[in-house]
Amino acid sequence: MKGTYLGELEELVLLTVGILYNKAYGVAVMDEIERQAGRSLNISAVHAVLTRLEEKGLVTSQMSDPTQERGGRRKRIFLLTAAGKRALEEANALRTQMFNQIPRVALDFSLAACSLSS
Amino acid sequence: MVNASPPKWADRFLEWYCNPALLEEIQGDAHELYYRAIKSGNRYLANLQFIWNVLRFFRWKNIKRSKRSNTNRSVMMYQNYFTVFRRGFIKQKGYSFLNVLGLAIGIACFLLISFYIRDEFSYDRFHTKADRIYRVHEIFESDGVGERSASLPFPTAEALRNDYEGQVVQAVRFFNFQAPTIAVATTTPDNIKEFNEPRLFFTDSVFFDVFDFDLVKGDKKTALAHTHSIVLTESMAQKYFKGEDAVGKFLRLQGSTNLLVTGILKDVPANAHFQFDFLVSFETLKEFYNGSMPPSWYWNPCWTYLLLKDRHDATTLQAAMPAFVQKYFPEFVRNDITLELFPLTDIHLKSHMDYEIQPNSSLTTIYVFASIALFVLLIACINFVNLSTAQAAKRAKEVGMRKTLGSQKMQLVTQFLFESILLCLLSVAIAVLIVVFALPFFNSFAEKDISPMVLFQPFYLGLLMALPLTVGIVSGAYPAFVLSSFKPITALKSNLSRERGAAFRKVLVVVQFSLSIILLIGTGVAMDQLNMLRKSDAGFAKENVIMIPVLRSPVSTNYEALKTELLRNPNTISVTAIEEVLGAKHQVGNYLIEGLTESKPYPRLNIRHDFLKTFNIPLAAGRDYSEDIVTDDSLALLVNEEFVRQMGWTSNEAAIGKTFGNRSNRKIVGVVKDFNFTSKHQPIRPLVLDLNTNPRAFELFIKYLAVRIKSNDVPATLEWLQEKWKTQIPGWPFEYFFLENNLENLYKNENKLSKITLVFSCLSIFVACLGLFGLSTFTVEQRKKEMSIRKVLGSSDSEIFMLFSKRFFVLILIANILAFPLAYLLMKQWLSSFAYQVSIDFTLFLVAALIAIGIAFVTICYQALHAARSNPAEVLKNE
Repeated sequence: MKGTYLGELEELVLLTVGILYNKAYGVAVMDEIERQAGRSLNISAVHAVLTRLEEKGLVTSQMSDPTQERGGRRKRIFLLTAAGKRALEEANALRTQMFNQIPRVALDFSLAACSLSS
Repeated sequence: MVNASPPKWADRFLEWYCNPALLEEIQGDAHELYYRAIKSGNRYLANLQFIWNVLRFFRWKNIKRSKRSNTNRSVMMYQNYFTVFRRGFIKQKGYSFLNVLGLAIGIACFLLISFYIRDEFSYDRFHTKADRIYRVHEIFESDGVGERSASLPFPTAEALRNDYEGQVVQAVRFFNFQAPTIAVATTTPDNIKEFNEPRLFFTDSVFFDVFDFDLVKGDKKTALAHTHSIVLTESMAQKYFKGEDAVGKFLRLQGSTNLLVTGILKDVPANAHFQFDFLVSFETLKEFYNGSMPPSWYWNPCWTYLLLKDRHDATTLQAAMPAFVQKYFPEFVRNDITLELFPLTDIHLKSHMDYEIQPNSSLTTIYVFASIALFVLLIACINFVNLSTAQAAKRAKEVGMRKTLGSQKMQLVTQFLFESILLCLLSVAIAVLIVVFALPFFNSFAEKDISPMVLFQPFYLGLLMALPLTVGIVSGAYPAFVLSSFKPITALKSNLSRERGAAFRKVLVVVQFSLSIILLIGTGVAMDQLNMLRKSDAGFAKENVIMIPVLRSPVSTNYEALKTELLRNPNTISVTAIEEVLGAKHQVGNYLIEGLTESKPYPRLNIRHDFLKTFNIPLAAGRDYSEDIVTDDSLALLVNEEFVRQMGWTSNEAAIGKTFGNRSNRKIVGVVKDFNFTSKHQPIRPLVLDLNTNPRAFELFIKYLAVRIKSNDVPATLEWLQEKWKTQIPGWPFEYFFLENNLENLYKNENKLSKITLVFSCLSIFVACLGLFGLSTFTVEQRKKEMSIRKVLGSSDSEIFMLFSKRFFVLILIANILAFPLAYLLMKQWLSSFAYQVSIDFTLFLVAALIAIGIAFVTICYQALHAARSNPAEVLKNE
């Protein structure tokens, strides 16, 4: 396993699983990512990421009850685990923390341009 | 549109590759996306998308990996199979023992016979140039009469080498005076050894360039290069010089010629088609023929081998032979002679010429043996199938349980194949033991010298690996599929599951017994044929005839005196001298008979007076040679009835007075009744009996003295003869043999064949009976309750016995009916290779049938009695 390091796509999928709560399965996750982030993923890529997350223990899964759609086939529903939640929080915190450390001046583009040109 | 479904093949592909644990969700998602795409209207795009998704799902993680995930599990399963096998084996000791023993015997027979066959095929292949060595045969026949000689005239070798330099590298001749034995003696007074040696040959100096025989001492280049040199084998060196260094010592040939020992040979490997103990340089022969080689192109005593540049040259050379014959052979035989190149490696099995150096084996024998080996192995395999399927019912519950617990059919098949391979492995191990112990006996009756070490040859190591696998799979396949096809519910529910494959087993028993009966009948016919060949009247007296080799002996000058002396004993009936062993061999001579325009080759024997009397051959017409008519030697001739027939003369009497040799005073004076002057492999051919009273005839034309004695007190007569011999022919060993014994050798091949078939057909019957015993035991067990109930209801013991054994007898009867015509056809086929065929005796068929039935009866009897005698209360109380 690759440790607890969370890839960008993994983070995205993990977030989506959180958002969809108990309706997170392959196709739903794919749709949600497309809707929110505008990224069109292949369903197999989503599956791969979900499997990876499950192996890392960030999500857990269970089979849903069969329904009429999909020819009576069950869905695998993914849920955030405590570890998953922590991972998201850490990622979020890390981001905020680091973002806040960016000096103001670096974000003030008119100033920055002057100092560079001089 | 709504009812559309994704492309079937893609869906199936997905199902095929996808890990079953993941299939549902993956397939579900794929289908969901597909239906969504369908709703948007474009079916074509939806299909494409589906296929695309299926392909994208084809990832390492999603693929079924039975191996990786099952490695541990399958090792565990095999451990389990092994445990179950071991328990079953121990629990069913009887069956298992029968099963393994039968198969082991079958495999042992197969191995032994394969040793034999491999050995037969290995003949002469140890020469590195074997594929380029050819022997030249001379077929000298006119209208099918004459000789098919393995040997050639003296000058042929040199002429071939000179004329066809492009193809012939070397030519080697072998020569032995056409004598049965040659006298060899040591020369030193402190070590006197004298023997008549049958395996001495004169050979060309290039012998070692052509053949790969190893010299222990001496130089291959020079050993035979000079005149008066001799090389001998290690065992001969031991025999004559007792471990002293033989090289540099002398040996005396025929009491006159001293030869220098120039080398010691390794003993000749048993798989060389000709065996020798001594080789003498060819140059030495000049001394025997007044300083030069016999120049005759008619007399053909030299076995001639050619080493070709390339083996493809044989065809070219063969095509050149007619021209060669025309160029060299004398005019009066030129058109009757064909020369034929025969590959060295084929000689042992395929060459059946007159005057072979040593008798060869035959391909027919190999075929017979090979079929016996396969028959026995097949019978053993059938046993195995029978016993395993019979036990299937016992294991029905196990199968049911395994299936219920999730066993796949293939797993069960694997399990049962695994078991049968294990059993075969065990059988092979036992078979190897049997082979090691039986090999000395086998060697002695097959007249082979096969070491058990051959088992370590790569071929046999491979075979020992392959046998359990093939036999295991072949014989385990049927039981495996029968067993694994049980339906779990029926297998578990019914407490006495239905007997499976009973019909198939019956067929197998019939096949088994048919094969055994065919083998039995075959053995019987072979023995009959052998007996007929050996015992039936050959047309001349061979009992109590003593043959004494006299070629190149002092008898030549002393014949008349010796004869008179020998006849003095009242127990001596008659004395004569003759060219070859009567009934085994003959020579050929050209005769110009009245009515022919040119001379033709006829089988011929040079004889002395009293020949007919000694061998008790009756005259059909005319008179015998008479000692009172001196001119008989040159002006009279005796022929046989077949000769008269071939000449087309109306009667035996008509033949009397016909002239020969184009002279009116040379006449045929008598016709003798036909007799077998060669082995009965050949029909009787025309024969000329030529009186030759010239003392010089003992140089070449008269090889044996024949004495017929009375049957009473043979040892005393022999002793008396020896005494007289010593006084008449001092300094020459009195060695003799009985004609009758010598003629036994003619049928050695058949003798061996019938011995081997006898042993193996007995074994096959035994194996078949092991199977029958197992089957009957099983049936008894299965029908125990039925029998008990019958008994309770009033069946008598004998009724039960009949009921039980009936079905087996029916099978064996069917086997008989099948075997009879097959055996008849096969035997007809085999017999057709003989000139004299025993008429197939149908009582033999009956005997074989009775033997088979009898043995089967004994086998079944035990179990049937057991069934009939059992106490119903004992059996039924557990119900």
